[in-house]
Amino acid sequence: VVDRRRTCHAGAVERTGHAHQVTRRAFVGGASALLAGCSRASGPAPLSMWAMSYQGDYAPMLMPAFTAATGIPVEVQSVPWTAAHEKLLTAFAGGALPDVLMLPNGWIDEFAMIGAIAPVTRPDLIASVFPGVARTARVGGRDFAVPWSVAPQVQFYRRDILAEAGYPAPPETWAGWREMARAIKRRRPDDFVFLMLLNWPDALFTMLGQTGATMLREHDTRGNFRTAQGREAFAFYLSLFADGFAPRALSTEVQDPVAAFAQGFFAIWPSSATTVYDFTRRRAEIPAHLWGTARVAGPRGPGPGSALDISLCVSATSRRPADAWALIRHVTSDASELRFQRLIGVLPARVDAWRAPQLASPVIAPFAAQVRDTTPTPLIPEWERIRIEVQIVAERMVRGLVGLEDGLAAIDTRVDHILGKRRTLVQAGRIA
Amino acid sequence: MTRQERTAFAFTMPVLAIIALVFVLPTTLALALSVTDYSIYALADWHNLRFVGFGNFVDLLTTPLFWRALGNTALFAVLGVPMAIGASLFAALLLHDRTVRWKPLWRVALFAPYVTSIVATAIVWRFVLGTRFGLLNRALAAFGIPAIDWLGDPHVSVFAILLFVTWKIFGYNMIVFTAALSAVPQDLMEAARLDGASRLARFRHVTLPAIGPTLLLAAVLSVSGFLQLFAEPYVMTLGGPAQSTTTVLYFMFDEGFKWWNLGQASAVALILFVLILCVTSVQTRIGRCYEWL
Repeated sequence: VVDRRRTCHAGAVERTGHAHQVTRRAFVGGASALLAGCSRASGPAPLSMWAMSYQGDYAPMLMPAFTAATGIPVEVQSVPWTAAHEKLLTAFAGGALPDVLMLPNGWIDEFAMIGAIAPVTRPDLIASVFPGVARTARVGGRDFAVPWSVAPQVQFYRRDILAEAGYPAPPETWAGWREMARAIKRRRPDDFVFLMLLNWPDALFTMLGQTGATMLREHDTRGNFRTAQGREAFAFYLSLFADGFAPRALSTEVQDPVAAFAQGFFAIWPSSATTVYDFTRRRAEIPAHLWGTARVAGPRGPGPGSALDISLCVSATSRRPADAWALIRHVTSDASELRFQRLIGVLPARVDAWRAPQLASPVIAPFAAQVRDTTPTPLIPEWERIRIEVQIVAERMVRGLVGLEDGLAAIDTRVDHILGKRRTLVQAGRIA
Repeated sequence: MTRQERTAFAFTMPVLAIIALVFVLPTTLALALSVTDYSIYALADWHNLRFVGFGNFVDLLTTPLFWRALGNTALFAVLGVPMAIGASLFAALLLHDRTVRWKPLWRVALFAPYVTSIVATAIVWRFVLGTRFGLLNRALAAFGIPAIDWLGDPHVSVFAILLFVTWKIFGYNMIVFTAALSAVPQDLMEAARLDGASRLARFRHVTLPAIGPTLLLAAVLSVSGFLQLFAEPYVMTLGGPAQSTTTVLYFMFDEGFKWWNLGQASAVALILFVLILCVTSVQTRIGRCYEWL
């Protein structure tokens, strides 16, 4: 039952042409050829880089220009988001981190604390980045990462479904959202209005940010979810599921959200910019005139939201930090960022790059407005875990397994527990 | 020491050394870790490591998710072991029947899931179990049964995973049982038949005692397998919905590798070890009663 993963690949075993039999010489020859291929006697060894999801899949397309200019080849490994945190930590503990790694800005503090990443040596790399984004890449006053892309959340909506219900564009307030949802649900009782996957904390944390909830207290050493703002955000989040506006679904159940959106399974999808790319790529299923983007509705109109901004770091154990910084300089340049935007839709973290005409389309406008309006998240190593644990309790609340007040109390207890070690260290004065 | 003993030692030393290095040493270290508060802060700086005695165990016992994981694992084992062994035995008995043709083909077909990549099969099963377009719900709809949210409803997700696990692993024990069944003495079987024993009576009094030791072995391995269930929920549901498929091992993986609380995770490992030891010793005791050992 236990999965015994095999990561090694069978060596290329040569077969002798006529006899169809593996001879010892052919095997040894094949094995030594394989070894020679790994060590690459001529030219510099490749730099290694890990990136998640689309960034990992498409970063190799930015590399030929870098290799042509510097002569340094780059090997990019794509890592799935669901396994990224454990893979990076395990790699650090095992001394196997790549030269360059991608981190969401929420993890930078954690990786800087354990000494996995090196501080930025060239201030010009950070120079023209959005100030709000650059702040999240700073730990203890030092820059530890170069922001690569910004990912504010906006709502993607189905123009036709909203128009049917009498809305040319989605409302900007929570009350308006609910009213629209009722109108849509009346016409399409078997479908849903919103897609907020129960194992992705982004939607809930956007709402918490919008109500202005300060989620931690006492120097970020205790949970603080039982506040008026916290209750407001949770109550609204839960009501969307209770009224049948959002499906009680995990990401494993909605395997293809783009197809589901195209089929009208839901009409509003708070998501980030790569979704623009997904929709454009699959325009045969979901033509451009059927969807639009708008800022996410807030309790009293659009407001600051959470974002999954992405940065690049150099690992502290990299043997070639100069080459690694050169690579980061290349992939975070305006030209590369704009190329990446055309490739996969991610939005540049540099202010200058936003002047490019390709970012002037109306679909991008809500992102541009939102990127300047982000909520600061607590910069502590435990934050990622807290987000996930909060979402776990939120899922139980959505499924009716626990009530609002008990759930919030459980969250505070859980968060206090997670922050226990940090609390002792703060009290002992070992960390600020 | 005689010459013979020296030779024996010389031959066994390399293996013993490897066992000590890759098994005894890590186990001892894990034991040592379980009484410390090794966390991400200790990874950053060794000075943050503290000895906490049984603190991790006390902590675990007050963590609701650990109890939930324990409960889920127990549910998986209690339902899964009979299901998996029953399916294996049933398939083996069918294959053993004289009237079945193309036996090698059936054996291969039924054994194939066991050796197929778990991720690939999980993706297929996720489509089979899909709520809207899934094959299983389509089939149920033909009988007028309303759609079941197999992977999304916390009350049925365990059964969905069990269905997948049983399908995935029953082939292995089936082969073991096929081998055991071929060793059932045919003269006894013939004698029982002549004495007018029914099919059920023949199974109960001739087949079962003969395959008893194999059955015990399969049960022991299945129980320890199910108590260590991890990969199936990991690829099918990521432990969800609402942690209904989070097993002890999944909990340990999350604590240890996702959040790097290795102290806590080692404590979980120790508890799981003791648990498996207890269950297995009960099983061997039962086996002794029936003289299967």
